[in-house]
Amino acid sequence: MSGNVLAMRVAVTAITLAAVTTAAHAADFDWKKFQGKTVTFLANNNPVSQALLTYKDDFEKLTGITLKVDGYQEQQMRQRLVTVMNAHSDEIDVFMTLPSREGEQFAAAGWYGDLSAMSKNEVSTDYDFAGLSQALLKAGTFGGKLTSMPMNIEGPILYFRTDILKKCGVEPPTTIKDIEAAAKKIKACDSTITPFVSRGLKPALAYTFSNMLHNIGGSYMANGKSNLCSAKGKEALDTYSGLLRDYGPPGVVNYSFQQISALYRTGRAAMSFESSNELRTVMEGGERLKDTGLAPFPAGEAGQVPTAIGWGMAVSAYSKQPDAAWYFVQWATSPQIQKRMAVQGIAPPRPAVANDPEYRKWIDEQPVRKQWQAALDVLATKGSSEVGYPIVANPESRDFIGQAVQDLILKQKTVDQACADADKGLDALIMQK
Amino acid sequence: MNNTPLSESWINRINTAQLVLAGILIMTPTVWMVLSSFKPSFEVTAYPPTLLFSPTLENYRELIKTTPFFSYTVNSLIVTLGSAGLGLLFGIPAAFAVSWSRISWPAVLALAARMAPGTLFLLPWYVMFRQVGMIGSYTALILSHAVITLPIVIWVLLPSFDNIPRSVFEAAQVDGCSLMRILWKIALPLVGSGIAVAAILSFVFSWNYFLFALVLSNGDTKTLIAAAFNFVGEGSTQWGALMAAATLIALPPLILASIVQRWLVSGLTLGAVKG
Amino acid sequence: MAFAANAVSPDRQRAELAALSAPAVLFTLAMIAFPVIYTIWLGFHSFSSTGRQSFAGLGNYAKLIADNEFWHGLWVTLALYVLSLALQLVLGVWLALLLFHAKRLPGIVRSLLISPFMMPPVVAGLMWLVILDPSIGAANYILTSLGLPPSDWLASPTWVIPTVALIDTWQWAPYVALIVLGGLQSLPPSVYEAAQIDGASPLKTFRRITLPLLLPTIVTATILRSVDLLRFFDIIYITTQGGPGNASNTLNIYGFRVGFEFFNIGYASALMLTLTAIVFGVVLAFNRLRGAVAW
Repeated sequence: MSGNVLAMRVAVTAITLAAVTTAAHAADFDWKKFQGKTVTFLANNNPVSQALLTYKDDFEKLTGITLKVDGYQEQQMRQRLVTVMNAHSDEIDVFMTLPSREGEQFAAAGWYGDLSAMSKNEVSTDYDFAGLSQALLKAGTFGGKLTSMPMNIEGPILYFRTDILKKCGVEPPTTIKDIEAAAKKIKACDSTITPFVSRGLKPALAYTFSNMLHNIGGSYMANGKSNLCSAKGKEALDTYSGLLRDYGPPGVVNYSFQQISALYRTGRAAMSFESSNELRTVMEGGERLKDTGLAPFPAGEAGQVPTAIGWGMAVSAYSKQPDAAWYFVQWATSPQIQKRMAVQGIAPPRPAVANDPEYRKWIDEQPVRKQWQAALDVLATKGSSEVGYPIVANPESRDFIGQAVQDLILKQKTVDQACADADKGLDALIMQK
Repeated sequence: MNNTPLSESWINRINTAQLVLAGILIMTPTVWMVLSSFKPSFEVTAYPPTLLFSPTLENYRELIKTTPFFSYTVNSLIVTLGSAGLGLLFGIPAAFAVSWSRISWPAVLALAARMAPGTLFLLPWYVMFRQVGMIGSYTALILSHAVITLPIVIWVLLPSFDNIPRSVFEAAQVDGCSLMRILWKIALPLVGSGIAVAAILSFVFSWNYFLFALVLSNGDTKTLIAAAFNFVGEGSTQWGALMAAATLIALPPLILASIVQRWLVSGLTLGAVKG
Repeated sequence: MAFAANAVSPDRQRAELAALSAPAVLFTLAMIAFPVIYTIWLGFHSFSSTGRQSFAGLGNYAKLIADNEFWHGLWVTLALYVLSLALQLVLGVWLALLLFHAKRLPGIVRSLLISPFMMPPVVAGLMWLVILDPSIGAANYILTSLGLPPSDWLASPTWVIPTVALIDTWQWAPYVALIVLGGLQSLPPSVYEAAQIDGASPLKTFRRITLPLLLPTIVTATILRSVDLLRFFDIIYITTQGGPGNASNTLNIYGFRVGFEFFNIGYASALMLTLTAIVFGVVLAFNRLRGAVAW
């Protein structure tokens, strides 16, 4: 694995050099071109934007542009965004978006401005467009148009208690079968600990389930139809729901990141499969600092195909000043800014930044950080952005997936019934144009 | 005035016991919330739940430092007092008219706005207010919140006005007084407790309503309740800060209730209803 | 109308009445006319993923009638409504009576006892989410300490509706109490005095005298609570998002998700209007009751 990463890094460095050389021939970049304008930014108030906005003053000084920030929690932000966009209003210039979830929908509705040209031609010399994660760039491209620039990389990873695993005579799992075996052993060894916890909340579980499905080698769609009832699909449904049902905490059907992190942090869970973003929350209070191991989700028959997504910055198609808006986007996703965000704990979507010495120093401060970054390196190179169905109605498809898994956790249907019912609804969804 | 003294004190004891039980059931979660605001974030979800802990003001300090708490509070006060005031201004005469005439469609109409899910209004109001450039203005927020307070005022005051015996108005009617005058001079002083309840409820509902502020406010006029959401999100579930914010947000309605509830105590404003 | 002889002409009185209710009526119409018409219009269209709209006539409503989720949502909404309303009315009246008779209770205590509904529903939901967590919550901790079996609370498909009803009752029974308290204050004391002289027991006083006189206020509280309960949203949104499965998927939650998460504005509009019509029907029914009881 490290060989691949090394080769990747060499390649990236080479490309970077090439890009810089060519760009140097371009005209000198004028940061103050849009001095005096005001750009409105609708932000999802999560650690990514919080880290970014600590440098807000730097941006305003550099460009002379006034930045107005509107920050809301994710679901509220989405409500506001949808309302403003439905009204075709020019109130928002830049907004944060999650291409893996709403990308297809927003692109089809024409809400994204096209960044393809600007990201190549109107960038400062050190922007290093090619240094951005190609996978994430691809995830943000719809119909040949680049719709958002990646801000970070994140994905579900496995947090596990090294001390409990040792106590129960279990090795850190390297395959999915290992997890099942480990969970069984832990349950027998210590009944007060929840062996395994992950998302069971219906709209939220597609995030973690997709990872398992891909590792097993399954796919959501085949020949234009829903594929949950394939052998691999059923295996994934059975394994995921089985783990939660037999080895998960009571009430797991309501569990999303809040409860999962709380459970793991208070020491009541041995293995937790949840977003890499939750590292900070899980380490609060310091109890889990020394006894936590981190890894991408163990391999299945198809190896490791971890879910890797990222927030993106997009320019509104209805903005009256897309050029000025673009200046903010490129500043926010430039290597320098993403490096500074990185030492605040925001995993960068630029492999080059991930190897920057300053960042490495921060990483080396704590063993957990090292493992965290190592896991994210895997996500960066092997990751898939597919969470739920790759269709316009992606959010709705997640509900069907969630329902199938919940039916199995609650023992309300057999695997065949659950996947059949889901497939029926999903086929109808896929047909919708 | 009494039955035998024995049964009176027995009744009092039962009442007190019930009151204590009610108090425990009602206050325990709230007490937990307030106590949690003084715990470090991770201790809020600690298990077993901790009753003894070393209190910290860190959550409050963090809250005041990282969010423009004061300006949000001012925004909320402006919007809430404005909409409660508007609700009372329009609602009191309307409730009186409905009670007097026994024609209830105006009251039902006012309530109609509350029958639809709040989300129904989001897009149309955004479009409406955007047309006149009022997004982010206090006016837009006050008007939209008044849609919530107006029906509350009307419906809370209806039974109060209904309870006034018609005989009370006789003298004024014979004199040929206008209805406005009757309302102002005679009816209004008699419904003090109703107005107190209407005022408290209007304030609380408007204060806690975030949906309209979500689309109609901008960064400058954002209300306090919108800030409460910001503490729970992936990667940053700050329980301590959330509890601190919740405690602070709950204070103004509570203070108002303490002030206004005097008008709920019998004998203070009732005047001439004794038959 | 049971009024005494009036020196004011009926015409002038009618004009005065109109003037008194005009501000409220005009204001309400001005604010809700466009949204209602716009939503009705949206409900008659379907929107493709590219935003192109096409006239769908009653298509959305036909879809609604054939939609199992809708009927299930209706069932959840009504079950939650009836259970919550019953609990809140009974406990609210009980609390109001307690507060009414405890005349020497300090004001701050009285305010605290009616305070739960002053907490933003979002905060209440999150708080109860932690308290009711099956693994690390205080509720199960207390139950197990007392030797009772723990419950899944919000995670149980069977118990989620009663649990949500309980959370809502904790918050809103004091609200009902406040309204009823206001009503109790305006009852003529002379009636009580007469009853006490006659030696009536407290229970009898309550049943025969207080309750009938309180009925208009109780009906008001019912109407106000009904309007909110039938549109149940906040607590469920914060805690279960309609789950487990769709066990707590009220119509408002369903309509919201269809509109804001699945981006189907046409169908969402039809759902919202249908919910509004249901609430309207219930309010009309109770209003008739109020008329019968008050006048």
